[in-house]
Amino acid sequence: MILTPKIVVRLLLVGLLGVLLQLTFFSQVELFHVSPDVLPALVVCFGLLGGTMTGAVAGFALGFLLDCLLIQPLGGASLVLIAVGYAAGTFRERFEIHSRLVAPLLCAILTLLAELGFGAIEAMFGIDTEVSPLVVRDMLIKSIFAFFLGWAIYVGMRRLVRPALVDEATVRRTRRPTVLGA
Amino acid sequence: MYRKQVRRRRAVLALLVVGSFALLTLTYGQGSNGLQRGVTAIFAPASSVLDRALKPARDLINWVDETFDARGKNHQLEEELRVERKAAVGGKAALAENAEFRKLLKFDKSGAIPAGTKPVTGRVIGLSPTVWFSDVMIDVGSGEGVAVNDPVVNGDGLIGRVTAVTGSAAKVMLISDHSSRVGVRIVPAGVQGIVKATVGEPERLVLSFLNSDKNIHRGEAVVTSGWHSEEIESRFPPNIPVGEVIKATLVEQEAQERSIVRPYADLRNLSTVQVLTGGAP
Repeated sequence: MILTPKIVVRLLLVGLLGVLLQLTFFSQVELFHVSPDVLPALVVCFGLLGGTMTGAVAGFALGFLLDCLLIQPLGGASLVLIAVGYAAGTFRERFEIHSRLVAPLLCAILTLLAELGFGAIEAMFGIDTEVSPLVVRDMLIKSIFAFFLGWAIYVGMRRLVRPALVDEATVRRTRRPTVLGA
Repeated sequence: MYRKQVRRRRAVLALLVVGSFALLTLTYGQGSNGLQRGVTAIFAPASSVLDRALKPARDLINWVDETFDARGKNHQLEEELRVERKAAVGGKAALAENAEFRKLLKFDKSGAIPAGTKPVTGRVIGLSPTVWFSDVMIDVGSGEGVAVNDPVVNGDGLIGRVTAVTGSAAKVMLISDHSSRVGVRIVPAGVQGIVKATVGEPERLVLSFLNSDKNIHRGEAVVTSGWHSEEIESRFPPNIPVGEVIKATLVEQEAQERSIVRPYADLRNLSTVQVLTGGAP
């Protein structure tokens, strides 16, 4: 991704809107008793479109904003989301798989890992009470939600940053000319 | 050139990770800091506007979820209704008796809201997205008189207490949070205990007894105790409804000294809450 000032502003707005929508909308709706968590999916899309650095920086920034707005200890969400963004970026840079299922599958898998990561951070500081097995069900359903939401987010973000995408420009240049009558 | 790029990436990654750990170490266990207060002050109006604008969409999705849920619960509720009808008759008689006793003893008529506190109504403007934290953000803060440790209730009962405050917003730790402890009393049995959460199941609280010489039964009410001792200090005023005992087997009571409580408030679905200000020590 070529990061021009215009693209950076678009990415910032997407991140900001994502965090605000998570807090005011997604966290407050429930399907099958579980609220969707779009932030790991959003960070995955940043990583898939921009690579490791964009993914990691986006993860840090979104996590930091989330912690600020929820008045939580700063750095916990950032740490988890940095890993998510970096993993998604690494996938983009190391593997040449161009299936439409890559983005939603990565969103689902990395959302599951992010939820485990949030749990690990919390466990690091001590959980002095029972943990219900339903936590596993919640995490699995969240990752299924992330599959569908991640697909939509990826399509939307790709459209939004299309002028900055290097592979998109290559595809446009190498497109075959239309031959009339063929 | 490529190696230099890789080194730079690794350096940025290391910087971000170290920065996160440093922030975590510096801010863990604190309330709100200046940065968080500033960011919250900037975004609280936007969150409030978004919250109101998105309410119809949220209600629609929650309605779908509740419809699925209600179909499954219908039979169970019919059975419960039959049992409760019988209990209600006894309850009415007890209420009449209670009113007479109150009059006789000149008890004040304050109900769930303790005397000496001033309720401040707020709207929930943000919820924690993961199953591990049970915090909500509300749109009232120190400007409205809200202070740390103020109890927070809704129409059904206790939902939590304020753990951080900014000028225009406050963070409420719900009673379903893993670090929440509520000193409670079971009525009418009088057994004292502490209610803790079960991570991942906000409708299931664990009541650990402090004195277990009396047996308790399913359906008995749990209210805040409001007592103080050297080891444990209750941050809640007495007699705020918390929930009802839903499982109290003899084995659990005698061997494990605990029972299971369902909170009266629906902690998954909060919109308007009241902060009881002015009562915290």
